[in-house]
Amino acid sequence: MSERRRPTDDGRQPSLPELTGLPREEIDRRWKGQEWHLLPPTPLSPMMHTALDETLTLRVGRGERLPTLRFWQWSGPCVVLGRFQSVRNEVNEEVLRAHNFDLVRRISGGGAMFIQPEGAITYSIYAPEEMAEGMSFPESYAFFDAWVIDALRELGVEARYEPLNDITSANGKIGGAAQARRGGAILHHATMAYQMDGPLMSKILRVGKEKLSDKGVQSADKRVGPLRQQTDLDRDVIIHHLIGHFRARFGLVDDVLSRVELEEARAAVETRFGTREWVYFLP
Amino acid sequence: MHGEYKTPGGKLVIADFEVEAGHLRQVMISGDFFLYPDSALASISGALEGLDASLSEAEYADRIRAGMQAGAQLVGTSPEGIAIAIRRGLVDPA
Repeated sequence: MSERRRPTDDGRQPSLPELTGLPREEIDRRWKGQEWHLLPPTPLSPMMHTALDETLTLRVGRGERLPTLRFWQWSGPCVVLGRFQSVRNEVNEEVLRAHNFDLVRRISGGGAMFIQPEGAITYSIYAPEEMAEGMSFPESYAFFDAWVIDALRELGVEARYEPLNDITSANGKIGGAAQARRGGAILHHATMAYQMDGPLMSKILRVGKEKLSDKGVQSADKRVGPLRQQTDLDRDVIIHHLIGHFRARFGLVDDVLSRVELEEARAAVETRFGTREWVYFLP
Repeated sequence: MHGEYKTPGGKLVIADFEVEAGHLRQVMISGDFFLYPDSALASISGALEGLDASLSEAEYADRIRAGMQAGAQLVGTSPEGIAIAIRRGLVDPA
């Protein structure tokens, strides 16, 4: 297991080769060696989004879809739980329902996402497993997050990667990533806060003192540093820039979700993602 | 019982369980860590189920480690971290 890389004594952030254990040329080769397809923001329900993440990961693993970058468009507010979180420990369900939030669970681990459609920027990367070859899980998080940090910095946002899976800044956490591995492929997805209703988040999400103690802050909403604090750019403009950055750097073929993919995801909502069993019970 | 432990720079693990006749029962381990494969979570809680409530942290950690299938990986927490959460639940049940 690799050591966690911290800023060096002179405050320098570790380089990506240092964070991943891979030489720069190898990092570039792995990204540029794939034909990346783009699925632009498409409004879907939170449950469809989480189901689609599994569907598309499996399809990439089977070679039925090429590696893909997908941007999400949220059709309504929700909380998305990580695979190993318990409902009772993480949300005040009565408050959540009173505010008409959906409650869904994703296939990747990590923490609870508090989502209001215009307040969040979410994307998924579906990649073949060989892209992470030779890296530990922590190293692979740095590997898959690096491009978006570079793209944000181009916009003048002071963003940096912080192990294990945070995209952060001096103002607080911008976003976080999560990863799942299925059928020979990797799902690496991230959500960033564009703007945040901190008080509402504090009412809906339960964040105990233990979680806050390591970060040295008093309350949950102060931990978040939404992008809006650092830029006047519209959310759509930021998304457009992220896509443009990825396209310029690694290439992107414009693509759409197929009917079969949507049907598979809908079936997965029926049989799994929409069931009480999935949302309320742990593996 | 409810115990929590956040690994510095890592993730939070929560242990919820009952103690019946001096043994851990209905153990549920949850949190914002990562785990591969998913099914390893059942192995972890299964390894803790029924254990004596007077074991040391190291003993809980060893049992967790032994119960996890070959190749399973915890990311952001560890058997030791889970053992601390159990211990905290036993010491301060609130």
